[in-house]
Amino acid sequence: MSNKQSRSHGILKTAAIALAAACSLQFVLSAAQAQELSLKGKRIGVSIVGTDHYWDLMAFRGIQDEIKALGGEAIALDAGRKDQQQIAQLQTLIAQKPDAIVEVLGNLEVLNPWLAKIREADIPLFTVDTATPHAINNTTSNNYNIGAEIALQMVADMGGKGNVLVFNGFYSVPVCKIRYDQMKYVLGSFPDVKIVEPELRDVIPNTVQAAYSNITDMLTKSPEKGSLNAVWACWDVPQIGATQAAEAAGRQELKTYGIDGSPEVIKMVMDAKSPAAAVAAQQPYEIGKTSVQNVAKYLAGQKVPPFTFVPAVLINKENAAVTGKPFLEAAEKAGVK
Amino acid sequence: MTATTMRAAGTAAQGEKQPRVQNTGKRLGAVAVRLGAIATFALILIYFALFAPGFLSSFNLINVVEQSAILGVLAFGMAVVIIGGGSNVTEGGIDLSIAANMGLCAAVFATVLQAGYPDAVALLAAIACGVAVGALNAIAVVGLGILPLLASLAVMNIAAGAELTLTQNTVVGAASPLLAFLVSGSFLGISALAWCLILFSAIMLVFIHKTTFGLRLYAVGGHPEAARAAGINVPLHVGFTYLFSGFCAAIASVLAVSRLSASTPGSGEMLLSVLAAALLGTVFSRRLVPTIGGTLLSVLFIGFLANGFQLLNVSSYWVNGVQGALILLVVAVTSFARGPEASR
Repeated sequence: MSNKQSRSHGILKTAAIALAAACSLQFVLSAAQAQELSLKGKRIGVSIVGTDHYWDLMAFRGIQDEIKALGGEAIALDAGRKDQQQIAQLQTLIAQKPDAIVEVLGNLEVLNPWLAKIREADIPLFTVDTATPHAINNTTSNNYNIGAEIALQMVADMGGKGNVLVFNGFYSVPVCKIRYDQMKYVLGSFPDVKIVEPELRDVIPNTVQAAYSNITDMLTKSPEKGSLNAVWACWDVPQIGATQAAEAAGRQELKTYGIDGSPEVIKMVMDAKSPAAAVAAQQPYEIGKTSVQNVAKYLAGQKVPPFTFVPAVLINKENAAVTGKPFLEAAEKAGVK
Repeated sequence: MTATTMRAAGTAAQGEKQPRVQNTGKRLGAVAVRLGAIATFALILIYFALFAPGFLSSFNLINVVEQSAILGVLAFGMAVVIIGGGSNVTEGGIDLSIAANMGLCAAVFATVLQAGYPDAVALLAAIACGVAVGALNAIAVVGLGILPLLASLAVMNIAAGAELTLTQNTVVGAASPLLAFLVSGSFLGISALAWCLILFSAIMLVFIHKTTFGLRLYAVGGHPEAARAAGINVPLHVGFTYLFSGFCAAIASVLAVSRLSASTPGSGEMLLSVLAAALLGTVFSRRLVPTIGGTLLSVLFIGFLANGFQLLNVSSYWVNGVQGALILLVVAVTSFARGPEASR
């Protein structure tokens, strides 16, 4: 063995040891961080406006599971889509003085005065998918990205021209406002893409049925093939009804776009024949978990950013077979099909 | 006296005796029902008081009163309709449109405010709307003779449809001095909304139980024929109950808009709770008819049920189930206690 060889061997060895040391240090550090994340002895209030959709249910579960995993106690409150009930629950929750409150979705106009009261009562407030100045942290998908990406996919599929049917019933829900505004921003660069006026209104409950009849009516009104090219909604439950309506009317050229990634819609996008063209799939369970980790960090005295983004994935006809799979597996694991 | 007449007299005496036995049985049954229901209420509350942390704190109690204000006003409206129309669940007085009417009034109130009109105009508009929907019920029930259950079901759909048309199923934000006062005002440590329920209850108590009009209303509901024979204008009284329930819907809508800072879709969901409160309220009266005190107690009971479950950290999913079970129990048991002619 030459001297040179042995020196380089030595350098390698030192580097290896250093790397190992660094790795173990990293390990120790992350282990310490993980150890720090604990909610032992803490009571965390969780308020959600309703859990009748896949997204809501998964976020709600993610939050509760993580609170339990970190050793805390969850006071979990589902308002069953009744605003009055959610307000009453929040009011009682304030009186219960939990160590923190995680609030998920809802009408900001209705919630804001009560979220302010939570802060007045000195209870740390965290939100999921609800951007409000009263929250310490809002954990959500990057809705600016999602909104632009799904709109760009739609414009690309349309070849830069045509007519879009837009569901805009929930502009008062913050995430829908962002996604809608981003869609409009993208369309600003494509003057040949027109939104059909008046816009459609998606509703809760009976979202799928209402969307089905809305789209059927619009197709009847514009009977020539190709006169309507796309349907956009800020979530994917109207997309289900819209897709079924296009299929039933034999108007496969009407492509549908939505956001959330309910298993049913991912399956539609995976189906090459379905008019469902793309869906931006979020990770609601992860979002819920991440929010609780933020709570634990905050209660441990660590700094928490005002918002945390959990990655979302654009599932379209080209990539659906690969990108859709993990989402479907996650849904199956959670017992939701 | 011949043997035949003697036998006939004996049968007649027996015939007289039997209903008396039945009546006593029924009366005993009714007493058992009432006491049983009241005992259940009491036991649940005692359980909460012992085991739900913070249940008895004055802060929590006032919260529940505040949370019950909207339901309370609606339940009084429903109670008056049942008093005037009779408490037979299928053929008696009932206003299924009351919750949807509240939604429509809230939409009108918020929309008028948003158009820049002052509180007084918005309030008048909401009341006019509520009473107009009530008038629709009155015309259908009294004028056209449609069963209240069906008439108010149809009107419920009209009101819900009108609300959707007006708001396009969106949230209509509202802010005004009156709303701000209702939300943040307080007197003697009791919030404005809680005062609303207390004052409204007091007015109702006098109106229904201390005036001749209230007494006549009970007469009309209990025995319309007898009331008519006594010279009471039955259709006028029955019609009035629906107008009044519309008025209650309007008042409740203002409270709801203040609490939610907006008119929101989905008010119709309250119907089950309103019915529950009005029906459960009957167990507090000896004749199993709605009373103001009984209605108030059951409204508060429903409020305490949700509150106690939350404090005990029992899933909120149980509340609806328990509420439904209680309605079923009370309706079943009161129909039993009243006998076959009431449940027919």
